[in-house]
Amino acid sequence: MIALDHVSRRFRRADGQIVQALDDVSVTIAPGEFVCLVGPSGCGKSTLLQLVAGLLEPSGGSVNVAGQVVRGPAPERGMVFQRDSVFPWLRVIDNVQYGPRCRGMKRAARLALAQQYLERVGLAHVARAWPRELSGGMLKRVAVAMVFANGAEVLLLDEPFGALDYVTRHQLHDVLLDLWEESRARTGRRTVLFVTHDVDECLVLADRILVFRAGRLVDDFPVAAPRPRTADSLLLADMVAHRHRLLAHLGLERAAPRAIAGAAAQ
Amino acid sequence: MTARRTAARDRWVTLGVFMALAAAWQALSLVFTAEAQPGEPMVPGWQVLFSRTLLSMSDYFQGGFGIRPISEGGVRSYPAAVLSLLGNSADTLLRLAVGWLAGALAGTLLGLAVSWSAWSRRLVELPAQFLRTLPLLAMVPLFQLWFGSYFIGKVAFVAYGVGVLFFAGVVNAVGNVPQIHIDNARTLGAGQWRLYGSVVLPAILPELRATMLLSLGAAWAAVLGAEYLGAQSGLGYIIVFAQQFAFLDRMFLVALLIVVYTSLSFWAFDRLSAWATRWAPAAG
Repeated sequence: MIALDHVSRRFRRADGQIVQALDDVSVTIAPGEFVCLVGPSGCGKSTLLQLVAGLLEPSGGSVNVAGQVVRGPAPERGMVFQRDSVFPWLRVIDNVQYGPRCRGMKRAARLALAQQYLERVGLAHVARAWPRELSGGMLKRVAVAMVFANGAEVLLLDEPFGALDYVTRHQLHDVLLDLWEESRARTGRRTVLFVTHDVDECLVLADRILVFRAGRLVDDFPVAAPRPRTADSLLLADMVAHRHRLLAHLGLERAAPRAIAGAAAQ
Repeated sequence: MTARRTAARDRWVTLGVFMALAAAWQALSLVFTAEAQPGEPMVPGWQVLFSRTLLSMSDYFQGGFGIRPISEGGVRSYPAAVLSLLGNSADTLLRLAVGWLAGALAGTLLGLAVSWSAWSRRLVELPAQFLRTLPLLAMVPLFQLWFGSYFIGKVAFVAYGVGVLFFAGVVNAVGNVPQIHIDNARTLGAGQWRLYGSVVLPAILPELRATMLLSLGAAWAAVLGAEYLGAQSGLGYIIVFAQQFAFLDRMFLVALLIVVYTSLSFWAFDRLSAWATRWAPAAG
């Protein structure tokens, strides 16, 4: 379980101005939930992810994961970054076995594990390649395999597929959901926090959607549509309603967003 | 034109330039016949360099392989001359190699210490920055007085010259390590030691290539400079000894040999560091 209790985070910008990136956010996320965090740029969703990862400390409030206060990064909370994070000086397979190696896993075991996850993301044929020889989509697959091979219980994905083309993005959704469902079936839990500003992406992926604006949590609703979801799932009446709700939050709906946000807050 | 044919042509051009330079030197020696002292031409031609000059290298032979040195009544001979050049070269190269390695290691460790923790930064940064600003060649007499003509003095001098370059290079390169790689390693479970060994060190390597080549040049300058003042052997020692007697040809021969060694060492470094950073995308 992930519990944020009145969490806030301030930054001091280079010009000396204080920016309130997160403002008094409280939310509880159940084990095994797939949660999407949505909102316009600069709304604080990436900051929240970094707080859960332990890469940032809250200015106020507390972040708890599995009953423990988060103090710094830990392999139980894996992260896939927006930009390319794969180590360019390690071959693909050595990237995937990096986490297990940190945990002191034996060489043969971690190589087998890395090979297995490379097969799962469809990259077994480039195990010995250097990252510079891979496309952007393949690098994202490596990053996903790195985190899953490390067996993290909480996965934090910060707009991981934002820079990819349409087809690659959808292939990676399938890879991600496939790995998530497989590991959830095996361990009974694997919580995912997925930051995006792509409305359709979060409708296809999420069990639950959190909407942020200006550092505040402004909406929180479940997505009950059955899995596996396809492009047709987006045509369900519920999904269409969710879609309008999200578009309104992002200021892309013709109807006054304030009215809908107000209704959600009640 | 194919790459292979271009490379072949480049080699022929290089060879041609070498031949032209050698011929120009020979022509100059025939035209400009002034002498520094009787029998010592200012511009010694190749026929002098590879006969009398080479033979005179026997003077710096310190004995061995059953050949007596001049100081013990031996006579000049080509075997003694070649052994002399090899022996003195080995002395210089050993000082260079040990000094470079020690300096690279110390400079890198101190450079890493600046970013390791607040305390290590406080301890290291100010003294290291101070040492960095001292001019290298002005320190030669000081090192000579401290260490005399011992091996350790020349090694320490080279290490100092190399170390300050490495320190500056490492501090700069560590500042440019992408934060995302550090964050990624930490969320995957890497501790501080592993972070430095598996992320910081490889990440700074491409940027350190320039520092390494630069430091190699500094190491050559430092080892010869140290030998000018306080050595009983080595290539720098031969040059200083020859200068005292205005043996221009000997100085020129040794200088040529040094050019060969520096070229070879730069080439070897370039190949080695290119291999170590083969993962990096091509620059530009």
